[in-house]
Amino acid sequence: MSRLGRIGSECRAGAKAFLRRRTAVFFTFFFPVIIVLIFGVLVGTQPTGGGLFAEPPGYYLPGYLAVVVLFTPLSRVGSEFARHREGSRFEKLATTPLRRWEWLLAHTLVNVFVIGAASLLIFGLVVALVDAQIAVGAHLLLLIPFVALGVALFCGLGAVLGRLADSQDGVIAASNSVALPLLFLSETFVTPELLPAWFRPVTNLSPLTYFARGVRSLTYEQVSTPVVGATDPTTLALTNLAVLAVLAAVFFVAGTYAVPRTD
Amino acid sequence: MDAAVVADDVTKRYGDLVAVDGVSLSVPAGTVFGLIGPNGAGKTSLVRCLTGTTEYEGEVSLLGSAPESVDRSRIGLLPQSFSPPERLTVRELLGYYADLYDEARDVPSVIEEVGLDDSAETWYEELSGGQQRRACVGITLVNDPDVLFLDEPTTGIDPKGRRDLWTLIEELAAAGTTVVLTSHSMDEVERLADRVAMLADGEVVAEGSPATLIAEHGGESRLEIRTEAVADPLANRGFRVEASAGRLTLHDVDAAEIDDAVDALAAAGIDYESFTWTEPTLEDVYLELTGESFRGDDVAGPAEPAEAEVER
Repeated sequence: MSRLGRIGSECRAGAKAFLRRRTAVFFTFFFPVIIVLIFGVLVGTQPTGGGLFAEPPGYYLPGYLAVVVLFTPLSRVGSEFARHREGSRFEKLATTPLRRWEWLLAHTLVNVFVIGAASLLIFGLVVALVDAQIAVGAHLLLLIPFVALGVALFCGLGAVLGRLADSQDGVIAASNSVALPLLFLSETFVTPELLPAWFRPVTNLSPLTYFARGVRSLTYEQVSTPVVGATDPTTLALTNLAVLAVLAAVFFVAGTYAVPRTD
Repeated sequence: MDAAVVADDVTKRYGDLVAVDGVSLSVPAGTVFGLIGPNGAGKTSLVRCLTGTTEYEGEVSLLGSAPESVDRSRIGLLPQSFSPPERLTVRELLGYYADLYDEARDVPSVIEEVGLDDSAETWYEELSGGQQRRACVGITLVNDPDVLFLDEPTTGIDPKGRRDLWTLIEELAAAGTTVVLTSHSMDEVERLADRVAMLADGEVVAEGSPATLIAEHGGESRLEIRTEAVADPLANRGFRVEASAGRLTLHDVDAAEIDDAVDALAAAGIDYESFTWTEPTLEDVYLELTGESFRGDDVAGPAEPAEAEVER
């Protein structure tokens, strides 16, 4: 069996194992839906200023997408990692031709598929329920690499957390501890203006910031509408995509080394 | 005969704990090699060293290569507490692992070999404990390995399942597969292994064929007769007899001599309630060499009786 065959086999097994855990599937899609319903519909936005969400609804689409791009890979890969370790599956796989990076790539592809579907759902909900004004056009296809690279990045981080934590409980606690600060300090739901000036440069350290900025430049009309003298939104998106790609590569490699070859 | 697995002064430490302490052994190709010892003796750690799934000190040769660089399609491993993805059917599970190799066996034939034809479409988590273990053994067979490491393969399996697996292992060995088997079930190793290494506190305390180890360290066979009679009539027939309250113990009696003893009892008109013949086992060897018993550690089910009791 070729390398593609090995990755495909691991991918199929991972996808079936996930799709047959109904509660996992349900909450993978229910979680972002409930976030959109609470923040987008119940709380709503107040474009005239003040309140929790002072920007127009479209501003927060990257935040809603970030919820699944960030939380789902972290928890899924982290949990899968713990399950593999507790069931001596890594020990078994270490005696098969499957390589560590092939394992992580296979599980990343499963996550890209799952999170891609969840992202489509979120996109539709935000447009339909929150009345967000989205800049529609071919440039929206760039959302695909944004989601894919974001998922790859956080799958790598999930593998690192899975390696560091010694149980499924530990993985979940570690994932939440990492994900919550990232979610709110990466230009997703909290605008930079709401942060102290001295802290704003810190947001540049979050990989999620480049996801949020890039997605926003593609979808948020106030950014996407070309302005004379300003950077072209697509160029802005590609710049952020390039940074995200580099970070994704770094985290993926780190995640590969986190997959145990020995006990 | 070439050695399939060689360990030379292998040591495995977990911090201050020495799990494997300077173990050297050689497993000839095409044989079944048993690693026995109670929980914590170092069996699983040694298997990890031999398969390269842990860091270790010393030298290991697996099919002529270091374990880390051996052709992975030539080895199979069943880890001790292995639990594969639980919501795949038996067929899907074996297919999943088979597809990780360039060449693999026909999955239905492996399913048939481990006796799971009727459960092929059942999710792993819905199988009984014994069926799960058989599915795990099937997973290790999909690549038709030259060397197979089975770490306590019969744990949790019912008696029939155990015997089926024993037969399977015997067939694999007969077909030329080298099997390294760990167990704390003495009867299992005694039946299956050509050679045995006994581990205690990470060290090999004895190595050899089960028969040789028993002959050298197991002590003598005994025939215990529940009777109020005195020892003289049997002693006069050449038996070495020890008398205690309500019991005569004949030492060093092999199976062929039981009839002679019974004839002697009849000839002397001695009445008895029952007699029990006990032959030494690997457990006796272990007890003799380490001063420690396996009893209480054997979770694989009760040991096969090494004794025969007859009531009159």
